[in-house]
Amino acid sequence: MRNKIWVLSLAASLVLAMTALPTLEKSLAAGPPTVDIKIDNFSFTPATLTVKAGTQITWTNADDIPHTVVSDDRSFKSKVLDTDEKFTFTATQPGTYSYFCSIHPKMTGKLIVQ
Amino acid sequence: MHPFDPKSALLAKHAQHVVLIHFPIALFLTGVAFDLAARWSKTPRRNILAAAAHLNILVAAAFVVPTLATGIVAWQWQLDGQKLKGLLLLHLTLGVASGLLICLVAWIGFRRRPASGSALPSWYLPLELVTSALVGLTGHLGGFLSGVNLPS
Repeated sequence: MRNKIWVLSLAASLVLAMTALPTLEKSLAAGPPTVDIKIDNFSFTPATLTVKAGTQITWTNADDIPHTVVSDDRSFKSKVLDTDEKFTFTATQPGTYSYFCSIHPKMTGKLIVQ
Repeated sequence: MHPFDPKSALLAKHAQHVVLIHFPIALFLTGVAFDLAARWSKTPRRNILAAAAHLNILVAAAFVVPTLATGIVAWQWQLDGQKLKGLLLLHLTLGVASGLLICLVAWIGFRRRPASGSALPSWYLPLELVTSALVGLTGHLGGFLSGVNLPS
């Protein structure tokens, strides 16, 4: 009787593990959540973005003009981005990050990490 | 940012170049315009116009130095001196070429233009016109880069 319970428990565990595996695999393959910010017409879109800690933010320059992405506190700083070039930053620390384009300081944006 | 706030204009790391650049452009183009006018004028007006042209071009050449210097400072401070490419590299190259040509025109004028306005070589005016075209192209590119057509 004890052996039967043990075998049944093992079988149940195996079934549970097999059902959970695809979900786990999927979440591992997906990696951290990602968000895109578009640089176009001398502005960041969206200008203000709220994300959870660990989110990967990617800025893409869709403008004909080179731009940069620089946070006020210099916690992230891109190279000069030509058309279609990207810059990625993973927000790990919660806080509010104001950023701008160092070539066009009137271009500003805000990233809120929760 | 208030347009008449001197603090914003003087302390912004890259703003000086954008402000100063207008002086050599305006002075040089005005100088060339005076030289063109002098070419088709009769003395004594011709000498007066040639002298005005000479003065404008000399002051334009004087402004080339701080303009180039502030442009390079903006590159070093704002972009950490990173290797330039594309439009920024083209702007730097054309800017340096324009600055050198303005100085060359001013130097030739300074050496060859005595009291009379007729001692300049025949290729001086074409050189001025070529330099004007290059200045115009550099200025256009600078305006495009700086986003003067920014949406308000």
